[in-house]
Amino acid sequence: MNNSLYFRIAKTNLKKNSKTYLPYILACISAIIMFYTMDCIVLNEGLDKIRGAGSLKMILKFAVKVIGLFSIVFLFYTNSFLIKRRKKEIGLYNVLGMEKKHIAKVLFIETVIVAVTSLVLGILGGIIVGKLMFLILINLMKLDITISSSFSLSLPAIIQTVELFIVIFVATLIVNLLQVKLISPIELLKGGQKGEKEPKTSWILAIFGVIELAVGYGLAINIDSPLKAITTFFIAVILVIAGTYSTFTAGSIAFLKILKKNKKFFYKTKNFVSVSGMIYRMKQNAIGLANICILSTAVLLTISTTVALYAGQESSLKITYPLDVTISIGNIAAKEKDRVANMIKEEATKSGVTLKSQVEFDDKQLITLQNKNSFKIANKENISVMSDIKSIHLYTLEAYNKMEGKVVTLKDNEVLIFSVGKEFNYDSIVINDKKFKVKDKLNNIKIANKNKNNLTDEYRIIVKDMSTLKNTYEGKNANELVNATDSIAFDIDGNKEDTIQFCDSLKSHINAMKNSSFQSIYTDREDFYIFNGGFIFIGCFLGLLFTMGTVLIIYYKQISEGYDDSERFKIMQKVGMSKKEVKNTINKQILIVFFLPLAVAVIHIAVAFNVVSKLLSLFGLFSTSTLILAIAGTVVIFAVLYAVVYRLTAKTYYKIVQKEN
Amino acid sequence: MVLVEVKNLKKIYSTRFGGNKVQALDDVSFSVEAGEYIAIMGESGSGKTTLLNILASLDKPTSGEVLLEGKNIVNIKESEISAFRRNHLGYVFQDFNLLDTFSLKDNIFLPLVLSGKDYKEMDSRLQPIVNKLGIKDILEKYPYEVSGGEKQRAAITRAIITNPKLVLADEPTGSLDSKSAGEILKLFSAINKSGQTIVMVTHSTIAASHASRVLFIKDGKLFNQIYRGAMSNDEMYQKILSTLTLLTTRGGENE
Repeated sequence: MNNSLYFRIAKTNLKKNSKTYLPYILACISAIIMFYTMDCIVLNEGLDKIRGAGSLKMILKFAVKVIGLFSIVFLFYTNSFLIKRRKKEIGLYNVLGMEKKHIAKVLFIETVIVAVTSLVLGILGGIIVGKLMFLILINLMKLDITISSSFSLSLPAIIQTVELFIVIFVATLIVNLLQVKLISPIELLKGGQKGEKEPKTSWILAIFGVIELAVGYGLAINIDSPLKAITTFFIAVILVIAGTYSTFTAGSIAFLKILKKNKKFFYKTKNFVSVSGMIYRMKQNAIGLANICILSTAVLLTISTTVALYAGQESSLKITYPLDVTISIGNIAAKEKDRVANMIKEEATKSGVTLKSQVEFDDKQLITLQNKNSFKIANKENISVMSDIKSIHLYTLEAYNKMEGKVVTLKDNEVLIFSVGKEFNYDSIVINDKKFKVKDKLNNIKIANKNKNNLTDEYRIIVKDMSTLKNTYEGKNANELVNATDSIAFDIDGNKEDTIQFCDSLKSHINAMKNSSFQSIYTDREDFYIFNGGFIFIGCFLGLLFTMGTVLIIYYKQISEGYDDSERFKIMQKVGMSKKEVKNTINKQILIVFFLPLAVAVIHIAVAFNVVSKLLSLFGLFSTSTLILAIAGTVVIFAVLYAVVYRLTAKTYYKIVQKEN
Repeated sequence: MVLVEVKNLKKIYSTRFGGNKVQALDDVSFSVEAGEYIAIMGESGSGKTTLLNILASLDKPTSGEVLLEGKNIVNIKESEISAFRRNHLGYVFQDFNLLDTFSLKDNIFLPLVLSGKDYKEMDSRLQPIVNKLGIKDILEKYPYEVSGGEKQRAAITRAIITNPKLVLADEPTGSLDSKSAGEILKLFSAINKSGQTIVMVTHSTIAASHASRVLFIKDGKLFNQIYRGAMSNDEMYQKILSTLTLLTTRGGENE
């Protein structure tokens, strides 16, 4: 046989199997586009110039690795599905007299065709899409640099992409050749057709699954502090994943068997075929469906949290920064204080900005442990868990009155209290064994905003005067966890460039001083945009990748079932099932297979909501409604996409079933 | 009483672009009396399966009509045809066509479930016939757990549980060993004795010798028919054999 014949056979094979090979090639192309694009961005030198490029590059590099790894796993999975479908065809070639080395040659040419097509189209696509992606990233991070000009064609990225995917294609080819080599033609011809037993119910596993889910859910719902959330959430996630697998494998079969036992329900036209079909389907597909469920949960969570972080950052900044700039200096002499105040004024005039709502205050922060209404200073010995820590800020009445423009009076043993997080529910408060009466609970103060999702419980307490204040916090020997600071905070009026310039120069002055800190909403905002912009970009990018994976896995599952089921539907039609009933049954089955994982994923997310919102507060997202909106939006978009694939799959499935008749 | 009347049936298969035409049935007419047990014999490609498929409304003739109790089944609308088949016809296949996802019992119930019968009625219909068909002990088993003969018994039960007017059988013994085949044929005779009309297509002379009438088809035409009358199975067998010989030699002359 000459080479052109091999080529022709390979070509017809691909054409004949287009129903399965076309999605495979499309998946290859998409994976290549994504890998190339991300790699290009990582390798782009322009990004090094921006602030915070280090951490951004780190997550981008991580994303490249994830895409690479996912491509390997995913293409292997798809390939194994494809070759399983074609065993009969290959067996036929063998029986007809083609030696295995000839078959190997045909498979080799097929792989070359697939590889070349996907690499060429993928990299071309990557060059087009990549630039767009890069612009999107720059835009998300609100960078106004023109480094995109250097971004269009990256030879190193092309080389890396080609290398990776050629390795993948070669590896899949080797797997396929091994399959052909190991199996006898009779086995190849028979393919996968064997009578299968009805699966047994594993009640233990089913019950375990339900318990795992219940405990996982319980943990997730009952988490009340963000710091606790990290560790507990991890345990909850593992439990829920384990529970999902057990419930899908054992629970689903147990449930269907119960349905089957209910004769009134089972022997109804609309349930009879679906229920018994589903029992078998679950046996083969439970793991697959659980995979899809977990993958969708991950996709939905990744996208919605990154979107929420990005969308909610402005409101988070506003909560964290009641005033635009806060300058704090510890252990400062009075003379020094005036110098700083003057410096701020000078810098403001120099930059052409005006300052307003300026406040000055003494601030003694205590890190404490709370027992009912009693607070004790925490030290290294008695702090066991970070989440037990409560923070107390002490102010003098004088500073408070000045700041708020009020004339409140306090007795020696009276205080005012403002709770940032959880409300303080007692009438008296004991700090370091000194008891005070709570005269009033404040609803607002200028220098702090209420924030239910604050990391720790935080109380701002106003005492009568400086000596009371000193007595209170020096009651115990002052240790390293206690600090005393003077602070100045103000808003800035001015255009963006002047403001940034003012902040930058003031920051450099302040940072030169001892025990000082300079915090401004402007610098944080820039950092936030770079950080969250990078996050949302990668979140959506990976989300898209995983969605593609999910959708393809489910498509292939359904198609291979279509082939398996066609015989069954043929028989049912002979016995008297109409085409319409066949169509309805198919639609119902596929609907369940498609939307069961999605429904469970949505339940998972609903339960995880509490933890997720707590965790996001660690990243500075405090707005619950933003998170709800982001999740709802993501779920809707995902569901719509999913529905489109569902229609397509149901159609293809029906065609397969009817064609085989 | 005439149950089925077949009038001038013609079936022409043509390739997609109308190139080659093959005449599978050529002007076939006959009638089936209620309670009859008819075997249709013929060589491969003689058109007997086509004839059976048209009777079963699985296929449509090019021209001619099939009247079941005077109603032309050729003109039944596509949307009603499944229900019609379910309610009036029972079909027994060579390869059983049992669903391996259902137990034998559920396989038998399938047509009743599709007609929307409730479980009590299905069960009350099943009980009287399970003993007769000898499948009482295997009802809960799955098709892959039982022998070919047992599968065919279940398939026959499925065909008659709807009380069909006509049972059609396509080589019902074709996949069975001779012992099981004998049992299945006895079963068909017994069912026929209880009043069920049966039309069976077969290659097997033994199978045909159980019938009350045998039709011979050759090249799509009705060639001959034998009535059992008072003949025993053995006599019938001899008579069929000689007719078959005639059929083949005549065929030889034609070529």
